[in-house]
Amino acid sequence: MLAVIARKEFLEMTRDGRFRWAAVVTALLLAAALTAGAVSWRAQRALQAQAAGQMREFWLNQGPRNPHSAAHYGLWAFKPKLTLAYLDQGVDPYTGVAAWLEAHKQNEFRFRPAADASAVQRLGDWTAAGILQVLVPLLIIVAGFGAFATEREQGTLRQLASLGVPARALVLGKVLGVGGALGLVLGPAAVLGAITLALAAGGPALVADLPRLALLAAVYLGYFLVVAAATLAVSARARTARAALVVLLLGWASTTLVMPRLAAGLARRAHPTPSAFAFAQAVSADLTGGVDGHSPGEDIERLKAETLRKYDVATVEALPVNFDAIAMQQGEEHGNAVFDRQFGRLYDTYRAQARVHALAGLVAPVLPVRALSMAIAGTDVEQHRAFATAAERYRRMLVKAMNEDMAANSRTGDFSYRAPPALWASIPSFAYEAPPLGEALAGAGTAFAVFTAWLVAAGLGLAAIRRLDVA
Amino acid sequence: MSGTARATPWRLEWRLFHGDRTVRVLALAFTALLGVAAATGRGWVAFQRETIQRVTEAERARYDSMAATAARYAAGDTAGRTPWTDPRMPNIVAGPRGGRYVALPPTPLAPLAVGQSDVLPYYTRVTNGAKLGFAGSDEIENPLNLLTGRFDLAFALIIVFPLLILVLTFNVTAGEREGGTLGLLLALPEAPGRLLGRKLLLRGGAAIGVALLGTSVVALATGGAAAPGRLALVLVLVAAYGLFWLGISATINAMGRGSGTSAVMALAAWLVVVVLAPTLFGAAVSVALPPPSRVALMTELRETSDAVNARGEALLQKYYLDHPEMMGGGGGNMKNFALRAAVVAEELDQAMAPAMTAFDAAVRAQLALADRWRYASPALVAHGALLDLAGTSSARYRAFDTQVDAFHRAWRQYFTPGLVSGAMLTPADLGALPQFTFVEESFGTVAARVLPGLALLVLLGAGLLLFSVRRLGATGVVAGR
Repeated sequence: MLAVIARKEFLEMTRDGRFRWAAVVTALLLAAALTAGAVSWRAQRALQAQAAGQMREFWLNQGPRNPHSAAHYGLWAFKPKLTLAYLDQGVDPYTGVAAWLEAHKQNEFRFRPAADASAVQRLGDWTAAGILQVLVPLLIIVAGFGAFATEREQGTLRQLASLGVPARALVLGKVLGVGGALGLVLGPAAVLGAITLALAAGGPALVADLPRLALLAAVYLGYFLVVAAATLAVSARARTARAALVVLLLGWASTTLVMPRLAAGLARRAHPTPSAFAFAQAVSADLTGGVDGHSPGEDIERLKAETLRKYDVATVEALPVNFDAIAMQQGEEHGNAVFDRQFGRLYDTYRAQARVHALAGLVAPVLPVRALSMAIAGTDVEQHRAFATAAERYRRMLVKAMNEDMAANSRTGDFSYRAPPALWASIPSFAYEAPPLGEALAGAGTAFAVFTAWLVAAGLGLAAIRRLDVA
Repeated sequence: MSGTARATPWRLEWRLFHGDRTVRVLALAFTALLGVAAATGRGWVAFQRETIQRVTEAERARYDSMAATAARYAAGDTAGRTPWTDPRMPNIVAGPRGGRYVALPPTPLAPLAVGQSDVLPYYTRVTNGAKLGFAGSDEIENPLNLLTGRFDLAFALIIVFPLLILVLTFNVTAGEREGGTLGLLLALPEAPGRLLGRKLLLRGGAAIGVALLGTSVVALATGGAAAPGRLALVLVLVAAYGLFWLGISATINAMGRGSGTSAVMALAAWLVVVVLAPTLFGAAVSVALPPPSRVALMTELRETSDAVNARGEALLQKYYLDHPEMMGGGGGNMKNFALRAAVVAEELDQAMAPAMTAFDAAVRAQLALADRWRYASPALVAHGALLDLAGTSSARYRAFDTQVDAFHRAWRQYFTPGLVSGAMLTPADLGALPQFTFVEESFGTVAARVLPGLALLVLLGAGLLLFSVRRLGATGVVAGR
């Protein structure tokens, strides 16, 4: 009986002009987004690989130079894009993918691609993820709004009830029917997705990314199930199909378009982001004033006394090492503590805001889905933080190596020392490994919990339909 | 006499409309959203104004302290003086210590639309260094929030407002027919087109009225009265955009389909105009003219600055060769060092000019393309016009950038003689350094950019409305098939 109900629902839907149109448009959009995404991902990756190579060349070929001047010369570190980033570019347009590493300071995001694009791009996000999150639910609504309401209006629901068809079988059959119709759109899209992925990144990448891909597919399927459950629930209670449609559409517009923006406002209100200027002032106050109450100047004096005692000499000029470099490293250590504190605080604010977004997901399921999608694709804020932290670690290693070489190979006050190019080669290239899937998901823990709650609610909701009002 | 006779059906219609619970709920919800939008816009503009004020205050404090120190040094007390902090030295004032903040203050209507203002820098510090060295005082807003966007009035008007109009008017004919009252209406001595047209106008007009009222209240409460001309255009824009949607709804009504189909058609129209067209359009623009890569620009900058730095000494010598009269003067090594830094920075900007121009041209071309084709969707027309009027479109930020460039040149030129001669600045000089003030685009320029779009919206709306009211006059259509 279940199969009969599902088949009837499926046939009816696939023969409905409205659904056909919506399905064709969605499928075309999805196909175009996948292709365009894969093409641009490939281009960006090539560009980045080339730039990273060139930056390394610049670093290696800077010629003999004072190590401190080399530390100022600095370099760019690039965030490699995970393969799945082509499905969901997440926050990348707003963070940029490069970090500028130089002596003395940690830098924030620079060169966000969004700043060079036109304002239009911000009205809609045209990636596969955007379509899956916003448009496919609409397709589900168009497919399912009449599932019960139309039958009720036409009186067939009464007939079905009189035949003794259990409500549960009817519900399940309709879910399957809607699912089957959706499968006609999403199935080919998934195949196309796998093909574009393989073409863009190569077969081995596809295999390596299979767990992520599978999980991503599961998240979206779960999301669609939630939307389908909500659609059927509304349809089961609505007096007319029109009422069901209007309620569902308003619900769709408010949860996918309006709510996320309200959530962002709420997040900002609950955990205000400081202005860049206030942040810079706080950093510089910490840098000059000291983190733990005593000034960096006192630290340097103490360090000087210690160093003189260690080498048993009276003046820094008599030291066999370069005290300027030792003091600079001390300054770096002090700066690092400041950056850890201030940037840590900033990213913690982001994290708290993300939690508000996730909690707002209790009324707008698209929010946790978006968070999980970005986490799996490696394009959420947490993974940007991981990249920024790795880049900063690399910067500290590099600057320290420069200071140590200068301390060991020159004397205090002597800035004429030139390190040989071998020193540059002794610094390994920056290699960044994105956090593994488990860690990425842990970063989106709240979103995961909220999403699970939605799944459970959807299941319970469907199971709870025992009785259907026939009129 | 006839005036009262005509007024009565309107009043009756209004009573019917007003008594509808759905209408009240929707009006309330929309008003609440406008309130949230107002708070959002106001909050963001206050944030920018406060930041600019803090920046200005910090700069004033910095200049006061420099002037005090300069006065002390000039009086002969040079305790604690170093060549890299002395505020009398032109290179110190021109660069790290005296660098001047320039700001782009939000316009009086900025609270209406956030636009691109949250990803483009609205203040920056100008020194005599190379341009790319100081470009980029970006805010550090959470990228997740940037990605999501803000719920501002522009969003409420462009995206939500059409929904309100459509929901209130999509089934004026179908509703009467399905409610069984259409026959009664047709039996009245009035033309059906006029009757249904009145219903549409009243309901749509109420929605437009709420939007106009909301926009005026928001604008006036946030200082919009300071730009009356622009505000008037914003209101015309809101009305024109509403008119367009009313026209769409009238067209759907005139097709004489059932409520369900009408609802789907209304939604499809909204989806195409408001969601799909802008999204596809944005994608098409970035595929046709991809934004140029900053990564490539950075690589080029690095290569160029290496080359220019390597030629630093030669550049300085060349400078002296070109200006032999400058060889004298005091200052010695420090002066040479400072002058070389300035010469290198200038040379770097010159060497980078072709790449920067190309980059700029690519961005401009993309924006121009987006601008030219925004007529593809009324939502884009309205969005672009609103951003232009609120001063949060890329255009104003690019104007700011151009003016900052000019200021940067003026700032450099101001210091060059001092750098060359090694002459010290006096405390009085510090009070008379070049200042930056943004010169706003004239109302005429903005209006000229906005008016074609406005005209298009009005024409489309009025055309659709007239066409469908005439069609509604044909009873066959109204009665359905």
